[in-house]
Amino acid sequence: MKVILWKDTKKNIENLMEKAENLFYAVDFPVSEGIEEAYISVDKKKVLYRAKVTEISEYNLPNAKKPAEKGKKKKDTRELMLKKKTGLKTVLHLESLEVLAPSIPSSDFSLGRNKINAVDSYYEATLERIVITQKEKYSSVIEGPVRQLIEKELDKGVVLPLHIAEMLTKIKKEKGQDFFNKILKRVEEDLEERQIDPFEAVGIIAAQSIGEPGTQMTMRTFHYAGVKEVDVTLGLPRLIEIVDARRTPSTPSMDIFLKDEYARDDDAVSRVIKDIENTSVIDVADVITDTDEMMVIIRPKRKLMDRRRIKEQDILDAMGSIKQITIIQKEKGDTSVDYADIEIKAQQESYKRLYQLQEQVKAVNIKGLQGIKRAVAVKERDGTYKLQTQGSNLKQVLEIEEVDAVRTTTNDIVEIANVLGIEAARNAILKESRDTLKEQSLDVDERHLMVVADMMTIEGQVRAVGRQGISGKKSSVLARAAFEITVKHLMRAGIVGETDTLTGVAENIIVGQPITLGTGAVDLVYRGNVPDKGE
Amino acid sequence: MNSFISKRINNIQFAILSPDEVRKMSQVRVITADTYDDDGYPIERGLMDLHMGVIEPGLKCATCSGKVDECPGHFGHIDLAMPVIQVGFVKEVKMFLDGTCKNCNRVKLTEDEMQAYGRRLSEKKLEDYDPELLTLIIKKNLEQAIKREVCPHCGFKNLTVILDKPTTFREGAKSGGAAEKKITPKEIRERLEKIPDDDLIYFGLNKSFVRPEWMILTALPVPPINVRPSITLETGERSEDDLTHKLVDIIRISQRLRESRDNGSPQLIIEDLWDLLQFHVTTYFDNQTAGIPPARHRSGRPLKTLVQRMKGKEGRFRSNLSGKRVNFSARTVISPEPFLSINEVGVPEKAARELTVPVTINQFNIDVMREWVKRGTTPTKENGNYESGVNYILRPDGRRVKITAANAEDNSQKIDIGWVVERQLSEGDIVLFNRQPSLHRMSMMAHTVRILKGQTFRFNLAVCTPYNADFDGDEMNLHVLQKEEGRAEARIIMKVQEQIMSPRFGGPIIGGIHDHVTALFLLTHGNPLFSEKEATHIMSYLPVDKDMKPVSVENGVKYFSGRDIFSAILPEDFNIKFRSKLCSGAKRSEDGTFVCEYEENQEDIDVVIINGRMIHGTIDETAISPFAGKIIDKIYRKFGAAAAAEFIDKMTRLAVAFISFRGFSTGIADYDIPENAISEIKEISIEAEKDVDGFVIDFKEERMNPREGKSVEETLEEEIMKVTGEARDQSGKIASQYLGLTNPSVIMARSGARAKMLNISEVAGMVGQQSVRGQRLNRGYDKRTLPHFKKGDLGADSRGFVKSSYKVGLNPLEYFLHSIGGREGLVDIAVRTSRSGYMQRRLINAFEDLKVNERRQVTDTVGEIIQFKYGDDGIDPTKSENGEALDMNYILFDEENGGEQ
Ligand SMILES: [Mg+2]
Ligand SMILES: [Zn+2]
Ligand SMILES: [Zn+2]
Repeated sequence: MKVILWKDTKKNIENLMEKAENLFYAVDFPVSEGIEEAYISVDKKKVLYRAKVTEISEYNLPNAKKPAEKGKKKKDTRELMLKKKTGLKTVLHLESLEVLAPSIPSSDFSLGRNKINAVDSYYEATLERIVITQKEKYSSVIEGPVRQLIEKELDKGVVLPLHIAEMLTKIKKEKGQDFFNKILKRVEEDLEERQIDPFEAVGIIAAQSIGEPGTQMTMRTFHYAGVKEVDVTLGLPRLIEIVDARRTPSTPSMDIFLKDEYARDDDAVSRVIKDIENTSVIDVADVITDTDEMMVIIRPKRKLMDRRRIKEQDILDAMGSIKQITIIQKEKGDTSVDYADIEIKAQQESYKRLYQLQEQVKAVNIKGLQGIKRAVAVKERDGTYKLQTQGSNLKQVLEIEEVDAVRTTTNDIVEIANVLGIEAARNAILKESRDTLKEQSLDVDERHLMVVADMMTIEGQVRAVGRQGISGKKSSVLARAAFEITVKHLMRAGIVGETDTLTGVAENIIVGQPITLGTGAVDLVYRGNVPDKGE
Repeated sequence: MNSFISKRINNIQFAILSPDEVRKMSQVRVITADTYDDDGYPIERGLMDLHMGVIEPGLKCATCSGKVDECPGHFGHIDLAMPVIQVGFVKEVKMFLDGTCKNCNRVKLTEDEMQAYGRRLSEKKLEDYDPELLTLIIKKNLEQAIKREVCPHCGFKNLTVILDKPTTFREGAKSGGAAEKKITPKEIRERLEKIPDDDLIYFGLNKSFVRPEWMILTALPVPPINVRPSITLETGERSEDDLTHKLVDIIRISQRLRESRDNGSPQLIIEDLWDLLQFHVTTYFDNQTAGIPPARHRSGRPLKTLVQRMKGKEGRFRSNLSGKRVNFSARTVISPEPFLSINEVGVPEKAARELTVPVTINQFNIDVMREWVKRGTTPTKENGNYESGVNYILRPDGRRVKITAANAEDNSQKIDIGWVVERQLSEGDIVLFNRQPSLHRMSMMAHTVRILKGQTFRFNLAVCTPYNADFDGDEMNLHVLQKEEGRAEARIIMKVQEQIMSPRFGGPIIGGIHDHVTALFLLTHGNPLFSEKEATHIMSYLPVDKDMKPVSVENGVKYFSGRDIFSAILPEDFNIKFRSKLCSGAKRSEDGTFVCEYEENQEDIDVVIINGRMIHGTIDETAISPFAGKIIDKIYRKFGAAAAAEFIDKMTRLAVAFISFRGFSTGIADYDIPENAISEIKEISIEAEKDVDGFVIDFKEERMNPREGKSVEETLEEEIMKVTGEARDQSGKIASQYLGLTNPSVIMARSGARAKMLNISEVAGMVGQQSVRGQRLNRGYDKRTLPHFKKGDLGADSRGFVKSSYKVGLNPLEYFLHSIGGREGLVDIAVRTSRSGYMQRRLINAFEDLKVNERRQVTDTVGEIIQFKYGDDGIDPTKSENGEALDMNYILFDEENGGEQ
């Protein structure tokens, strides 16, 4: 829906709020016909107010006689509120101005394909209403007989996996009731018998199952299959990185999928690549410091610029972000070879400033998303394109119109936790560790990886495996003392008056009694020869 | 004796010792710094006073009158002449001095603040807080109090307290640095004493257990003597423990300080002595305190005092409490023994004589045990074989009697019900067997004992995989269980047959390796026939009693097929169908059926076993190996662990029987290929070199087009790598054309017994491009790998392209460059083991407490739920079929072929 969105001062809005009825507000921008909703931000980032626009008219002069419109009241007694003193263009009739709670982030509004990151002045933007549709319950998408079978078994306390239920239903149809019964009985028995034993030390088994094959893994960083530009850390270093919950992986990378309508479209693909690939001045030009003239010279490299589809003007535009400088574009020489130099002088002439300027110029971002150094399109088997990147910026990539946010992912687990939440991070840990092991063709049951992923995320944030994370938060003083930094933990235990309840493994080993897992968790009591009661 | 009532420590309460408690638990107040008198007898009230325990045999403890092994040791104490600060609490002491008023000794928080913080802190018990969080809260709460100069309670203007590390406190006006005054520990203690109990909470102290003034020591506990035993050197000289040395210093200085104070010495001298006492007490606790030099032994070695004894890998916690040394264990070299069951371990007689099992005598076994004791320590059977004797007997009063040939007869009559006999290991005993590094639970399994001649531990080769053992000098450990409970658990849970299935991937980890695979491949591939005589010879190795029907009779000689011989070791009612490894690369032909080039009869593409009879296929890696072993897997699931173990036992025996009957050998002749093949390969290498040169010229003349997103250099390298890689593959293909399934090396590679086809092509064809970090070799001398190349030479030769085959041999240049490539692998392994070792330690430490409860939820020690259903489906990975809950295809096949038992 098309709406008008602008930034205003808090004071103005408060004034507006006071006046409840017949609110005519003169604003300093044009508003096209047909817009029915107005949104106002006071801090650029959040949109805090909403009003209905019932009328849009041109602004002439304050309290000037308005030409009669649509037979409305002739006498123009409209009491106008003014946004500014000068430069007013339009008068809006606003109704039911309200405070939005919760506020809407400005990035919910978009201009064409782009999200609005900050409300600087005004926009005629579109606001998409997000419709949350509930996922269909699995039971309603499963066909009748299969569903009946699953439900019947559920009543017996047997949880039938879907594919097994489907197979059983097929068997019943093809081989008859008797054979089906025989198979079903065996399935039921097997499922029951294969349940894990209570008090099994699943944590230790998981740790061993992941740690033991570690010695068989490679240590090298590989080029990704097919895409040579994108390096990916694999093998043992990657596995260590995952359990370490490193804030950024050593080779962050994204898999970006496009929405169906764009996925086969070469133009759309190269457009997205152009949009996301982060290009700094230094990527496409030489930056030279001229200490005689006290200036920095940008010498654009045509080849590099063409490859990244950057024009001279883009560089000049980008320079606008540096304050207090003079930009001089030199006369063009032989333009077919290279572009002309761009000279940049600081207004304040000092070596220190010159040095600063040089660093600033180099780092100026011409376009693209921060962190994404490179993006490459990979053709999938079905003819669609997938983008692989070096560097990661999940949040902003997801905001791009063409991007299919459902499938797009990154290998940066902490970033996933921040953008998509802890459940997503849990799945990311599972996926990343599974893929790492699979790539090394090591067979590790997924259930072990689940234990690790769940344990790392159970507190609501991604915790590392080790002293900084899970182990440092153990409840037992002795277990902590045994792991690392022995004395600190003991001293602290003294002044706080800690109690070690000896429930874990390490602390019981320390005091020399059976651990509380497995057979140590149960008691076997021999009653002896209890005489019959009758005797 | 009440030892059968099991007791458990419920919990351990941590706190700080008050001086009163120190004195109360002390058995003696130590006043002299001396240890032993001239006769070597402990001096009374000295540091070796008998009240603190005994370390010399013959003496009795003055407190509990126990002897060396009986007395647990008792604390003593030293009354310090002046109070000193306990270094470990300096930070807390500083916090108290900063946060409280010097005048009224209250915490410098306003009533409002106190209420707010107090409410926050009383939500939970102090000890339930996350340590780091608590530190943060306390710091935040106290921020105001520490900043505040004027006391909100009495209005007194406080001075700033400065800490000179490690233990000296000074006090001065906030602004001017002038007129700073030292605060003595005595003054500090007086101030801390006056802080009201109720204010302690704001400092994170638990008032029920701790008073702040206890952080300033007035009485020092002296640890029991068995904590700091003195050792007698060979020269007869006594050498005291580091702690004792330190305590001597403390007592000496404390005495001098007391004297100086009492006879009114100058303040300066008293202060010096006081500082010295503080130094000694500080280093007694922690000899690595920052800011002071460590106290040293006469030899210059820094003393190991209390903190040093506890922390680090060699400290008490990690080296003595988390891991303990044990008795009743043995270690020796291992070697293979194909005629043992996988459940057995061969123990050398020498070890068996030393290892003992305690047997408590009761009415049922007393006669047998008398016999045993009578045998003495080195009995043998009539045929000269080992028989187990008895090494010790334990009387009910705890006395241990060593059995000798002389007293055996005697003692056999003395023993009675309730006595314990420590008998030697005998056949059938259950023991734990282990090989380090113990990376998974299959690194320690229970075996039953077979006593063998020789010096090594021996076991079936199928068990090499779980232990990751080979016989190039590997050693293993053996532990003899000492209690019935342990033996029961070992038999039921830890026995090798119970560990056939790996929890890592839900498949067998025990199975046939190397020659087992080769042998059974040869036995079943093409289903060869054996005459009755031959078949009998092979079968004589097996403990089977089965009617065998000959496949054919020719000239009156019965012939038996290889597959029928293999079938003899399969359980009846066993059904299975799977694709063999040999045919895993089978391609679908036009009519939709799969075609395998290695099988004459295309029905043999799959191994088919119905009702325990092998009908089609070839036994290879997929059938019987660890990790893959389909037959082992399915036998285990259908017939149980014992049947699976029995199958493996028979399978390995059959394999050894057959391969030693048939004979199998490999040698350099395996890699002989005809002249024309050799010249073909040569051509390929020349062609490759030419291509490489072409690329290099293109590159030098700047005619090379870079690949998308690559530099020219990278493109060149990639092109060359591609060419050299193809050359090796092609030469391998040519070589293997001439090396068919009759070639022993090829048999080993194709059956999965050992090596890959790639290795064969390296021997017969070409070794190929060497690389470091995935790149052609490029380091060494300036712009070249070796000095006899031109600078900037990018050709194939100079960058490690090895054209020779291993069989022909490498020329010196190739050999050198090949070694560079080989070294990377060695470095990699070294780095990897340490990294993955640390990762596993952290994983174990983080997850060791997790368990499944009765409802199959995963919980931690506190009872917090980690998973609501283990692995989403509650299925045990060990029992899963390679991760899946069920293998429906197998169930169907089994049931369709009348697989019901
Ligand atoms: Mg070895
Ligand atoms: Zn004693
Ligand atoms: Zn006060």
